[in-house]
Amino acid sequence: MSSNTASLLPRETASPESKRGWLPSWLSSEHPFPWLFPAAALMVVFGIYPLLYALTLSLYKKNAATRKMVFAPDHNWTKILSDERVWNALFNTFLYTGIALVFQLVLGMLIALLLDSDRKGYGILRAMMTLPLVIPPAVTAMMFLLMLNGSFGVLSRGLIAMGLLPTGFSILGNASTAMAGVLLAEIWQWTPFMVLIMLAGLRSLPKEPFEAAAIDGASGVQAFFRLTLPMMSKVIAIAVLIRGIDLFRAFDYVKVMTDSGPGTATETLTSYAGRIYFGNADFPYASTIALLTLIIVIVVSSAFMKAFKVKL
Amino acid sequence: MSFKDHDKLTFIADAARDFSARRISKRDFLKKMSLAGVGFSAFNLGLLGSTRPSRNRSFGIGDAAYAQDADVTKWLKDVSGPFKGTKIRYTSEATPPTVVLDKLKGEFTEATGIEVEIEIVPLEQVLAKATQDVQGQLGSYDLYYLDQSWVATFAQDTVDPIAYYKEKPDLAMPGMDWDDFSKPLVDGLAVYDGHWVGIPFDIPIMVTMYRKDILEKHKIAPPNTVDEFVAAVKMITEAEKANGMYGTGLQAKSGHYSLECDWTQVVWNNGGSIFTKDKKFSGNDEAAVGGLKIYQELLKNAPPESTNSTWDGQFQMMASGQCALVNSWDEFFPGLDADGSKVQGLWECKRPIRGASYRSPGDAGFGEIPNPAHQGGSILGLSKYSKNVDAAWIFMQWACSKDIMTRCTLGGGFAPMRISSFNDPRVKAKEVVGPGTTRHLPIVLETINNDMASEPDMPLWAGFSNNEIPVALGKLLTGQDYGGDAKKCMDDVAAQIDKAVAEAGL
Repeated sequence: MSSNTASLLPRETASPESKRGWLPSWLSSEHPFPWLFPAAALMVVFGIYPLLYALTLSLYKKNAATRKMVFAPDHNWTKILSDERVWNALFNTFLYTGIALVFQLVLGMLIALLLDSDRKGYGILRAMMTLPLVIPPAVTAMMFLLMLNGSFGVLSRGLIAMGLLPTGFSILGNASTAMAGVLLAEIWQWTPFMVLIMLAGLRSLPKEPFEAAAIDGASGVQAFFRLTLPMMSKVIAIAVLIRGIDLFRAFDYVKVMTDSGPGTATETLTSYAGRIYFGNADFPYASTIALLTLIIVIVVSSAFMKAFKVKL
Repeated sequence: MSFKDHDKLTFIADAARDFSARRISKRDFLKKMSLAGVGFSAFNLGLLGSTRPSRNRSFGIGDAAYAQDADVTKWLKDVSGPFKGTKIRYTSEATPPTVVLDKLKGEFTEATGIEVEIEIVPLEQVLAKATQDVQGQLGSYDLYYLDQSWVATFAQDTVDPIAYYKEKPDLAMPGMDWDDFSKPLVDGLAVYDGHWVGIPFDIPIMVTMYRKDILEKHKIAPPNTVDEFVAAVKMITEAEKANGMYGTGLQAKSGHYSLECDWTQVVWNNGGSIFTKDKKFSGNDEAAVGGLKIYQELLKNAPPESTNSTWDGQFQMMASGQCALVNSWDEFFPGLDADGSKVQGLWECKRPIRGASYRSPGDAGFGEIPNPAHQGGSILGLSKYSKNVDAAWIFMQWACSKDIMTRCTLGGGFAPMRISSFNDPRVKAKEVVGPGTTRHLPIVLETINNDMASEPDMPLWAGFSNNEIPVALGKLLTGQDYGGDAKKCMDDVAAQIDKAVAEAGL
């Protein structure tokens, strides 16, 4: 190519080469792997290695007195099957996830429908919905711990004043009500997340089908069930998936508010794994419980994605 | 101590007490001190106060009266040269001595150039961090704050301070005076398998505390026995429940060590023990189950929030006037007398209530000592895996020296580890109602010397006392399981513990 021809090339083609003249040739867009290396390294260090380490640990049996670990690949997995607390924790985890998801989804949709307006002031209301999300979960848990205190908590006092609870009743200190108390904090903090996702979905819906339905005389309820819900199904599925995975790993609220109690009434898989790890220092067994949690999350979320045709 | 010295100290203490209570003028106090031969280099502004009258003056740790001993400062400067710029770390619960030490550590850094970082976190996290550190032998922490229930677990991970003191004479603090540590505390807290795991640092111990006004109102004598205690608790609940007051308050949070502490005490008080001499769990025998039944009875006469309360919650019940009789940690006392407390001066304390008889330590297992006063003490242990072991050793000696331990007591009003601290005139002078009071300490000292109990020393105890036992107790006490049947609950615990002990080969 002569110099005359080169000068006729479009600027966009000539410019990048001249700009990256100081970079080695393997750092070009034709060679993506070097650019992926930092992220891949982080993933290996903080994701793959801990996972493999946990997997290895789960194959050992630890002597609590001598701290010696012996290779016993079936010990912890067999122990899990016969450990009643694991089954109780599994039940609690599903219960916690299920109830929280239903409340957050329904409330999230309802509030999003209320806030889906361009009228004056609604923008501020939508912005305010993000406030609970910026509070650390442990702080939220402390707030609710105090509000639910049987002696001086404002929520408990309110329920007592309404005659719904006996005087001094401890919501978190009672096995039959503790889960509800913890869920209250969880739902309060994370419903706004659902609201934001639903709002984003609602505001991206085309107006034409709704206008046509209105002309045909469809009521608001009919439009919601026949148009809004079907058109929002993908958004809802993704929201459920994200929150569901997060809820299945519930730890913060349980740890701060009830420490898995009373008894094991609010013990989840992760909180039980934490107690075994930090309390009994049985790292192999705790790792096995954590792996079980991971396996369940992968299986359930994969099934969900397949059932609802969610593609990420 | 000679009689002459004792008289002198008593004289100083009495004069200081009179002055702090404004019964004598500053002039008279100075006269008495000069008679006693006290120089005012140490006893100056902080103790004497300003000319402005102020009742219940807080003798803050920053006061000049508590300035660091010059000899200690000199030793620190002499010995720390090679370690200047080193940073040592440890993690601890927010116990009163730790909180005060955290404030005092600046003096150490100023003299030595050694930085000290104290991570103050909840007790269970202290255990978690120490556990991770020793498992990986990481040396992330140079010192370990070890609760008495973990001492056996971590015995293999610390340096014996007595041996190290002899081994490193060039780093040995002059006047450390190891005999000054209360012997029952050393035996109950620091020694495992014949050697010191660390230095005693903190000693919350159970005493009986009562609201004098409420007991007088109902013409109830302060209880001496478990039976009297239970009767008084029931009577007060019956009479005062309508006013929002219960007979007692408990630290019965399910799954928490605090509940396990309460449980061991009722078991011991009823003639039981946690283990038998043949190392079998005996929390399910008749005596122990009887003790647990008493606890179930007490729970009916405590604020319902008790089942969701640890020691913090129990203290709040006492401070907010929700209960009148408590058998629990002496460390609560200064907080009850603090400025702004709505119960200031209303609580009194006495030696803990007693059961009819106690199982002898010889009939219990794993070094357990059944007695009326559960202790929740802790030690400071020097990590074997520390990369700054000598710098940490200098700090450890300083933190556990006579001067610092006494000043920690003066800063927080809690029980010291050293006999000399109990007898210090400055400590005696604070035996009055007010912030940082030490008026409970004579009772605490008597309790330590006569009533101190100790949990089993075994490597698995940290797990049992934080998981299996308090979780099962929580299920029983909150009605989640066992249908209120204490025996059934304890049989379940026995099966789990005996299996784990056998598997560990103990």
